[in-house]
Amino acid sequence: MRYDALVIGSGIGGMESALKLADMGYQVLVVEKEASVGGKMILLSKVFPTLDCASCISTPKMAATVHHPNITVLTHAEVTGIRRDGADRFQARILAKPRFVDTAACTGCRQCEMSCTVAVPDQFNADMVARRAAYIAFPQAVPKKAIIERAGTSPCTGECPAGIKAHGYVALVRAGRPEQAFNLVLEATPLVGSLGRACYAPCEGTCTRGELEGSVPIRRLKRFVADAHYATGQPPSVPVAESTGRRVAVVGSGPAGLTAAWQLALRGHQVKVFESAPRPGGMLRLGIPAYRLPNAVVDDDIANLTALGVEIATNTRIDNLAALRAGGFDAVLLAAGTHAPGRLRVPGEDLPGAVSALAFLRSAKLGRATTAAVAAPADVVAGTAPDGQTTMTDGVDVCGQRVAVIGGGNVAIDTARTALRLGAAEVHLVSLESREQMPAHDWEVTEALAEGIVAHPGWGVRRCRGAERVTGVALRRCTAVLDATGRFAPQFDDTDTIDLPCEVVIAAVGMAADTADFAASLPTNRNGTIAVDPGTLQTRLGYVFAAGDVVTGPSMITEAVGQGRRAAFMIDRWLSGHELDPVAFDDRLPVVDRQAVLSRQADHSRRGPLPPPAVPGHAPDDFAELEPPIAPQEVRSATARCLDCGVCSECHECVSACPADAIDLGMRAEEIDAEIGTVVLSTGFRLFAADAKPQYGYGRFANVITGMQMDRLLAPTRPYHTVLRPSDGKVPDRIAYVLCTGSRDQTVGNPLCSKICCMYSIKQNQLIMGTLPLADVAVHYIDVRTVGKGYDEFFEQAKGMGAEFVKGRVAHIDETDEGNLVLTYEDIDHGGGLATAEYDLVVLAVGVQPNPEVAALFGGLDLGLDEHYYVEEVNEDLDPGRTTIPGVYVAGAASGARDIPESILHAGAAVTQAAAHLERQRQPQRSAQQERTRVPA
Amino acid sequence: MSATTRDVREIIRDEQVMRAPILAALADGPLTIPDLATAIGHPTREVVFWVMGMRKYGHLTELKGADDEGYFRYQAVERREPA
Ligand SMILES: Cc1cc2nc3c(=O)[nH]c(=O)nc-3n(C[C@H](O)[C@H](O)[C@H](O)COP(=O)(O)OP(=O)(O)OC[C@H]3O[C@@H](n4cnc5c(N)ncnc54)[C@H](O)[C@@H]3O)c2cc1C
Ligand code: SF4
Ligand code: SF4
Ligand code: SF4
Repeated sequence: MRYDALVIGSGIGGMESALKLADMGYQVLVVEKEASVGGKMILLSKVFPTLDCASCISTPKMAATVHHPNITVLTHAEVTGIRRDGADRFQARILAKPRFVDTAACTGCRQCEMSCTVAVPDQFNADMVARRAAYIAFPQAVPKKAIIERAGTSPCTGECPAGIKAHGYVALVRAGRPEQAFNLVLEATPLVGSLGRACYAPCEGTCTRGELEGSVPIRRLKRFVADAHYATGQPPSVPVAESTGRRVAVVGSGPAGLTAAWQLALRGHQVKVFESAPRPGGMLRLGIPAYRLPNAVVDDDIANLTALGVEIATNTRIDNLAALRAGGFDAVLLAAGTHAPGRLRVPGEDLPGAVSALAFLRSAKLGRATTAAVAAPADVVAGTAPDGQTTMTDGVDVCGQRVAVIGGGNVAIDTARTALRLGAAEVHLVSLESREQMPAHDWEVTEALAEGIVAHPGWGVRRCRGAERVTGVALRRCTAVLDATGRFAPQFDDTDTIDLPCEVVIAAVGMAADTADFAASLPTNRNGTIAVDPGTLQTRLGYVFAAGDVVTGPSMITEAVGQGRRAAFMIDRWLSGHELDPVAFDDRLPVVDRQAVLSRQADHSRRGPLPPPAVPGHAPDDFAELEPPIAPQEVRSATARCLDCGVCSECHECVSACPADAIDLGMRAEEIDAEIGTVVLSTGFRLFAADAKPQYGYGRFANVITGMQMDRLLAPTRPYHTVLRPSDGKVPDRIAYVLCTGSRDQTVGNPLCSKICCMYSIKQNQLIMGTLPLADVAVHYIDVRTVGKGYDEFFEQAKGMGAEFVKGRVAHIDETDEGNLVLTYEDIDHGGGLATAEYDLVVLAVGVQPNPEVAALFGGLDLGLDEHYYVEEVNEDLDPGRTTIPGVYVAGAASGARDIPESILHAGAAVTQAAAHLERQRQPQRSAQQERTRVPA
Repeated sequence: MSATTRDVREIIRDEQVMRAPILAALADGPLTIPDLATAIGHPTREVVFWVMGMRKYGHLTELKGADDEGYFRYQAVERREPA
């Protein structure tokens, strides 16, 4: 792109510069970092000394700038670098940041803002009131288009292998919309209730709140929304695409298969799930004990899927994928999990009384969970265990027996606790690892021990004793579990042995993919898992994809859900002839930095995390669910702890609310290169940070505010409905001004007069006395500077209206118990001694400060700054606007404190020079001659 | 003392959870900010943020005229849908 002029910043100086250049016929590019043009002026109440309404005079200029045929405006964009291009032209690089809203479609209706679940301080109202993550900058914004503030993906959402918008549903629950939270999880998977109970919740491990008093209980909030929805008995309300006429077979009904089936059905494909077990659900239904995941919850989750018309054929083992294809399925997903139990590989492990944990748990969960006997029916157990391993799964009865569970992982704990609930007389947990090294979650081990399970850490099984059936296990001391490289290679001390008498041995020593049936047609890995392209999950067969534990090996539910989602995404693309692009699948922004999140606040109050569920102190005798639901009053405090790390929570409420379909959370930043003839810097000033004068209490005392905040309180688009005290909403009676806050003050490094604060304070005095006729206004000043046409008369007018002017510096401000403010000041007019006065609102007339970042834009070119860090003008008096870089000009308050009329005048001077520079480019010969006759500065 | 030690960002974030208790407190009629603060057990300074945020997004509105002590009363409204 090629422009004559680049104007950086669109305050009054920038707009004026752009309009003048454009009126002269030049093509102008305006780059503004905020979401609207207008700068600070549009935020003011009225302007001195005319008391014209600031927005009434700004908005026509803003509209003219944006609609001028010779001006292109990029808002929410930043110039990231400018370099010279030839003798007198420039190359600029601009970062157009994503608005996440299609501005062509957006009508500015604010529905997104009204529905948004995240409240943040409104910077356009000087942080005095909330705005939303989705917002329109202010009512007169130009362009009047919504924008969404996204700092990145929240850590919880970024960590979720299933791609569930964790932050989104936390924010929805916080906003009192559990049903919408349920629907948000449904966007990923139908297994809302199961994940709400049995997910290992990696999100919580990374939650930024964990850096404070503990993670947000993200998983239990998911359970809360699932319970709330299922209590209504309503089917899921999700949009389903029109039928595509394509058929997909899903082999296996665990989390991977069910999620894939759900996603494919949502996309309009006809899906049939084949499951070898008598019940669908995979490990949810066959492995995870009911005290952690009741069957009814799994059934409710699966009902979501069947409500979409997905068929599930149970008791149907698939061993021939080609037959499925021949039977009319266009694609097949293999999601068969890992159901081959690991073996102890010791003598006696095939004796009656020895069983695998998978078979034991499965039997317990398939209907016999509440009875004491677990002599598993042959049809259930023997039918699924792979050939050659059936002896491990013969039925056993643990009731009244001594049981040894071998293993130290979560499955071993589930097994031991299940055995206890089935009436075992004793349950022993034998693990190679020490208590600290056991792979099971620490809290699960703690709970198991509290229930009466006896741990034997640091022992390995040498053999199962017994002749006809198991009578015990012989153990030897395990001296090391891993070798030096971290590989599993247990070492034993054969001189240190014990015997553990028992009638039942249950081996929970791993599980593997059972893919022998498919090995002939599909390549598998050494551990039996299916070999796939990791990005697309496609197998060598093309029409066959695989997902879940059968690909990854034993993993966790949420990982399998994520794989199921990915597989469905890829299958859908494959069916519709699209490229299988792994990048297109995950559109999450980079995860925000947790420290950056924490540093958004000066401090964080600590809020008690949810107490962990009480550890039962006795052996339970039934499978009642252990973890209680989160109580309604806990829901509020739990969700209030979320820090809104990514700012936007990705709750998708705006997406649903927008009537113009304008929200696009997939938008990304764009880099734009522009060739430029001249640059006008109109980046304005910054306001003095009032907390740098701590003796005035700004930030500590609610009723100490800045001049900008008072201008907002007086503006028609104000944060409150009138001028009120921020501490309690009271109409103030006595208001004080402290002039020169941060100006003419060596203690803060600023000896300069800011020029505008006397005048804006006098303006505000008059407006306050108009708005609150009963209020008293006192101005503490060093001297009042009213240099300008009509300014002194304006000052006299304020005095005439009753404003009191008190000469002398304010030493410090203290707060009373009622939130009033006591000023201690020098009273020059009455002898110069110290005096005090009490007010109920204090306005600090903060001054202006330079914005020196602009110098960093010019790599290799030296943009001079003056001794106060404003952009240096080479000759301020004779040549205003010319900087140290030929072809670069400065307009308005970027080069020093200026009020509005002065900024407009200065912009005029700067653009005249910029135009001359452009003309010299057009007429090189004339330019050379002019340079020769130019008076040196 | 009215001043709060909580960070403004944190107070404002809480508007989402405080909306329900505030609307519940207003169910019996309009209240001033100090009365609301007593009713929900939070500092007036924080209630100002929540009331003004809720006012901006159409959940409540002020009644005309302040009382003798200089406080306005706020009442819940059926939320107007944005134009
Ligand atoms: C005891 C136990 C407790 C666990 N607890 C947790 C937990 O609390 N949290 C967690 O995150 N993870 C847990 N896990 C891990 C989690 O269950 C798995 O990661 C997850 O279930 C894997 O999902 P999947 O869909 O890949 O496989 P699976 O859930 O195993 O589902 C595969 C399904 O396919 C069926 N099938 C197999 N072969 C065929 C065939 N040829 N034809 C038709 N059907 C077939 C199987 O019967 C099964 O129903 C636990 C695992 C176990 C064993
Ligand atoms: S709801 Fe849509 S059209 Fe309305 S302001 Fe938001 S993005 Fe624009
Ligand atoms: S996704 Fe949710 S949080 Fe984000 S802008 Fe939209 S409504 Fe607000
Ligand atoms: S604080 Fe909230 S957004 Fe941040 S990680 Fe935790 S739950 Fe997610």
